[in-house]
Amino acid sequence: MAELTAPIAGNVWKVLVAVGDKVEMDDEVVILEALKMETPIYCDESGTVTAISVKEGDAVNEGDVLVVFG
Amino acid sequence: MSRKQTPLRPYFEKMPEIGEELREGVVRRSRANVDLVKEQEELIIQEVERVKKAGIPAEKIHQRGGMTIYDRLDYLVDEGSWNPLHTLYNPTDNEEGCTGVVDGLGKIDGKWAVIIGFDNKVMAGAWIAGQSENILMVTDLAKRLNIPLVWLTNCSGVKLMEQETVYAGRRSSGAPFYRHADLNHLGIPILNGIYGTNPAGGGYQGISPTILLAHDGANIAVGGAGIVGGMNPKGYIDEEAAQALIEGTKNFKGKAPGRVETHFDQTAYFREAHDTEQGVLDGIKDYMRMMPAYDPTMFRVAEPAEPRLKVEDLNLILPANQKRPYDAMQILARLTDNSEFMEYRPDYGREVFTGIGKVDGFPVAFVGNQQGVFPGYPEYAKGEYPGVGGKHYREGLIKQAEFVTLCGRDNLPIIWLQDTTGIDVGDLAEEAELLALGQSLVYSIEQTELSMMCVVLRKGTAAAHYIMCGPQANNNNAFTLGTPLTEIYVMHGETAAAASYARRLVKEDDAGNDLAPVLEKMNQMIQDYQDKSRPVYSAEKGFVDEIVSLTDLRKYIQAFTGANYQNPRSITPVHQLLLPRIIKG
Repeated sequence: MAELTAPIAGNVWKVLVAVGDKVEMDDEVVILEALKMETPIYCDESGTVTAISVKEGDAVNEGDVLVVFG
Repeated sequence: MSRKQTPLRPYFEKMPEIGEELREGVVRRSRANVDLVKEQEELIIQEVERVKKAGIPAEKIHQRGGMTIYDRLDYLVDEGSWNPLHTLYNPTDNEEGCTGVVDGLGKIDGKWAVIIGFDNKVMAGAWIAGQSENILMVTDLAKRLNIPLVWLTNCSGVKLMEQETVYAGRRSSGAPFYRHADLNHLGIPILNGIYGTNPAGGGYQGISPTILLAHDGANIAVGGAGIVGGMNPKGYIDEEAAQALIEGTKNFKGKAPGRVETHFDQTAYFREAHDTEQGVLDGIKDYMRMMPAYDPTMFRVAEPAEPRLKVEDLNLILPANQKRPYDAMQILARLTDNSEFMEYRPDYGREVFTGIGKVDGFPVAFVGNQQGVFPGYPEYAKGEYPGVGGKHYREGLIKQAEFVTLCGRDNLPIIWLQDTTGIDVGDLAEEAELLALGQSLVYSIEQTELSMMCVVLRKGTAAAHYIMCGPQANNNNAFTLGTPLTEIYVMHGETAAAASYARRLVKEDDAGNDLAPVLEKMNQMIQDYQDKSRPVYSAEKGFVDEIVSLTDLRKYIQAFTGANYQNPRSITPVHQLLLPRIIKG
């Protein structure tokens, strides 16, 4: 089980995966928006999405879990 | 036994490696970015082709047995060394679609020169609007780099129908003659290959350089032979006057004055006269062999080497989406020899990097913006807001000014890699002295005698575009390059629209009015900012000196560096450099 967390506080602009999706390392899964910038979040390993903890428009804090992989 | 080595070997032979190979997944997800970069490149290529076709077709010149300016440059410049500048420059949007001169940095017989020639397809090389500014940038470049200026003169003089756009004024087409005198005075030679008919302005263009070499068919003179009528006491042309003109023109048999039989055989202004166009160019090559140039060994600190990481990766790394961050070290790693870099104070002023790299074995300083978000930084805004890449804060400004000052002392040319959204604003920023620190950086640049080159990788915005040695640094900035992803404007269009119309929106909203008309104006303004900041526009207006593909950046950096070290006016012995010692600690 691996978790992708928000590196900075911001808003969830786009969620690019759904539960059950197979993802590979370096795939883009979430885009955060903060300080007029996009911060893309990439998978740091391959796997299957088991949970998505946020939805588009949510405000997140640094360290919040975004996506969980199995 | 003799032993030889490069100086300060322990510092320069092997410097810290930066950057890393792109992983398969990174390449996969970045392929669309390459397409976006190529799309922009294609627009630029089309514009360059348009400029090359300006004027009469090249075939017409060829049919007359002549060479176009592009043929002459091809013959003159060492293969693979040509770095064009100002190709799209046309600041007044004149009807010719160019300024009628073609210029760049290139090697002739192994030595760097600033090379410029009149486009003889465009009104036989007439003075046209925007041309003098172009020429002044070129003479400035030769002065900055202290290398020869090579002219291929073929100038028919003022475009008489638009004389008011070229003749008069402080920076008009007469100003280059003074610049030539200035270069000569400074000991910077100007070689002049002369072709065709060069009356009046063309004549002074012909006579003002240091060494004059002529084609047999060329002439230079105070005035041309074509002025058959002169002043008319009536002050206008009527039928009678027109008939007189017609007769005069039909019967005119005189040759253009200032021909080779005058200025070679009699006055001996011309050092050489050649019966072929190529002969003139061969003569320039001969003179280039006499030009002052150190052997590169004098200043090299290591053997030249290509970057360890692929230059082509740049199209994958630099996001076309201006809101996306990237690792600036991954860019730098594709520009320096062996992908090595000795960073100055990496833990201080994190939003910018400063340090020394090697280019073709020469030591070169680099300064650039880091990207991303820096939680907990800057110190003065802790708990209020985080730092973001591309912005400048107190520490970064201090670091840059300090670094530039040390580079001045060490005589290290500086390459600035701009991708900046501005200097931090607000009360905290003012209390942190950012206004004064920005100007302190300007002062630091100005007080050096260094040549600098600026690359606007993506954004050149607000005062930050100025303080990072943008083209406004007239005395230091040799030239500025844009890329297919460059955008240059005072602020982003959306920010500008908000600043301009926010109060109006409030007013209309309070009055219960429809907001649509204001929104339309705001969106028009955003579009306008977009249209007038893009690469082609930036090149046409002279915001940059050339738009260059990302994969060609290193070639220009090599040209700048090689030219800088060809004949420097000031030398810091490598073993007396301070910066590498400060970095080591």
